[in-house]
Amino acid sequence: MNDAIIEVTGLRKRFGPTLALDGVTFTAPPGKVTGFIGPNGAGKSTTIRVILGLDAPDEGHARVGGHPYRDLRNPLRHVGALVDAAAVQPSRTARNHLLWLARSQTLEAGRVDAVLELVGLAAAARRKAGGFSLGMRQRLGIAAAMLGDPPVVILDEPFNGMDPEGIVWMRKLLRTLAAEGRALLVSSHLMSELQGIADHIVVIGRGKVLAEAGIDELLARAAGEQVLLQTPTPAEAYRVLHRAGGVTTIIDDGALSVSGLAARQVVAALGQSDVVFSEVTTQRPTLEDVYFQLTSGEAEFGTNTVQGAQR
Amino acid sequence: MIEALRAEWTKTRTTGGIAWLLTGAIAVTIAVSAGIAAATHVSPQGGQEDPTKIALTGVYLGQAVVAVFAVLTISEEYGTGMIRVSLAAMPRRLVLLAAKAATTTALALTAGILAVTGCLLVGRLMLPTAGLDPAHGYPLISIGHSPTLRAASGSVCYLVLIALLSLGVATALRDGAPSIAVVLGLLYLPPLLAQAFTDPLRRHIEQIAPMTAGLAIQATTDPHSQPIAPWAGLGVLTAWAAASLLIAALLLRLRDA
Ligand SMILES: Nc1ncnc2c1ncn2[C@@H]1O[C@H](COP(=O)(O)OP(=O)(O)OP(=O)(O)O)[C@@H](O)[C@H]1O
Ligand SMILES: [Mg+2]
Repeated sequence: MNDAIIEVTGLRKRFGPTLALDGVTFTAPPGKVTGFIGPNGAGKSTTIRVILGLDAPDEGHARVGGHPYRDLRNPLRHVGALVDAAAVQPSRTARNHLLWLARSQTLEAGRVDAVLELVGLAAAARRKAGGFSLGMRQRLGIAAAMLGDPPVVILDEPFNGMDPEGIVWMRKLLRTLAAEGRALLVSSHLMSELQGIADHIVVIGRGKVLAEAGIDELLARAAGEQVLLQTPTPAEAYRVLHRAGGVTTIIDDGALSVSGLAARQVVAALGQSDVVFSEVTTQRPTLEDVYFQLTSGEAEFGTNTVQGAQR
Repeated sequence: MIEALRAEWTKTRTTGGIAWLLTGAIAVTIAVSAGIAAATHVSPQGGQEDPTKIALTGVYLGQAVVAVFAVLTISEEYGTGMIRVSLAAMPRRLVLLAAKAATTTALALTAGILAVTGCLLVGRLMLPTAGLDPAHGYPLISIGHSPTLRAASGSVCYLVLIALLSLGVATALRDGAPSIAVVLGLLYLPPLLAQAFTDPLRRHIEQIAPMTAGLAIQATTDPHSQPIAPWAGLGVLTAWAAASLLIAALLLRLRDA
């Protein structure tokens, strides 16, 4: 699926006095869950609206599967999105909400029943969406996003209002969708929600991308991560790792601690130089720690707000 | 375009309130006409009245319900945020607006035909008892009479144009209540304002105001009693509706969703 990619380049967007996006650039690659993380007001929703052609950027552009969104014919077959779970007509039933969407993309009504089944709303299909709980609306939103079986899926805060069971279900679904080769962009202001499911992380703060990296690199880059290992030749290992860019400390006879390199980079460097080693372990900060290091001072309403949101 | 039409039609079909509003529009129109017909008593001199116009009086109030219906077709989407779902599904915004205009037209047309037919039947049945009968020089209301046919079909067109005008205003303003206020103000205020002036200014106001110009189509006996010629009047209303949709289209294209 080479349709399965989101490319965002140099997005800038101003709302009156607020510079909501200040040169946002990142890629959500195929087959991965890209976590789009930042504090309140960071610009996540604005970026997503720009990708979907809902808001026009002042500068820069966004492409989905290589095309600007507005050029897509039957766009829901290319991109499925959940922007706002509350955005349903309260008097319309879940099924009819999906039905008009299906009609707009020349999709069979059979798809409607399939996605209702997928999100576990089959039993509530003929109930009015106005009576749905927030969690049920999230599921309906996911159903709408999956209607066209799209290679790209964009979800803005999908865990909002979900009970623990729902969260487990959602995490599993996201993993499955990525494993099918789709590109997923999932926003959250809680790092913990995405721990264990996101492969690729884009951290945004005050309209700027603070970090974009695979989850391992991100963790390694953060201050505090250390790779521990044993080797009979610590001095040689020290030289090799230094050359590879690591900061190495010889703890005692035969034990080293390395920071600035991910464990696999350490293994690769030592392996290439035929240094004998064993017992490689990573002492890593949690994603949470990384996130706070990156976003401290970047939260629109101060770090306190972010930490408040944490608890 | 065909997908957008089917989507908009499905939306309309599955919104409970719309059927009620349209039924309401028909009922109000016919009820007002019936009330006016019942209240009409004509002195035996004869020759002064316009039975068709009397029978179509209900349009004066029925249009308000049609306006509310048309406003809601888009303002409810802005109110719930569903407009973003619609625009994500149909990113070609003018196609979306055109599809909305088409379904609005179809529904206003249907409601208009039913309402106007009801009005004519009510007039034909009730007005003779008010003294508007052939014995006094008033033929029974009949669609075979060409000015009556013009007044009737024109009234249906009038209701459709009011719906399109309202759709345009609501697309531009997004919010339901202000849109309804603006449309009703645009319809009912100029005739009241005009009363504060004398001719020719009063006549000019009535010639360019959407309601007074548009309803000139209803006169069958003495077109000169009207501020403007029948079809020209409907033309003025068409210009209003077109301007409103044009502004709506422009704003929809240019603004963020
Ligand atoms: N339509 C708008 N009009 C004016 N300002 C806006 C608009 N949309 C967003 N903003 C502003 O742009 C900035 C980014 O907002 P955005 O909603 O994209 O943040 P977010 O990362 O999604 O935050 P949250 O986690 O709270 O959802 C904020 O300062 C917000 O107030
Ligand atoms: Mg947001």
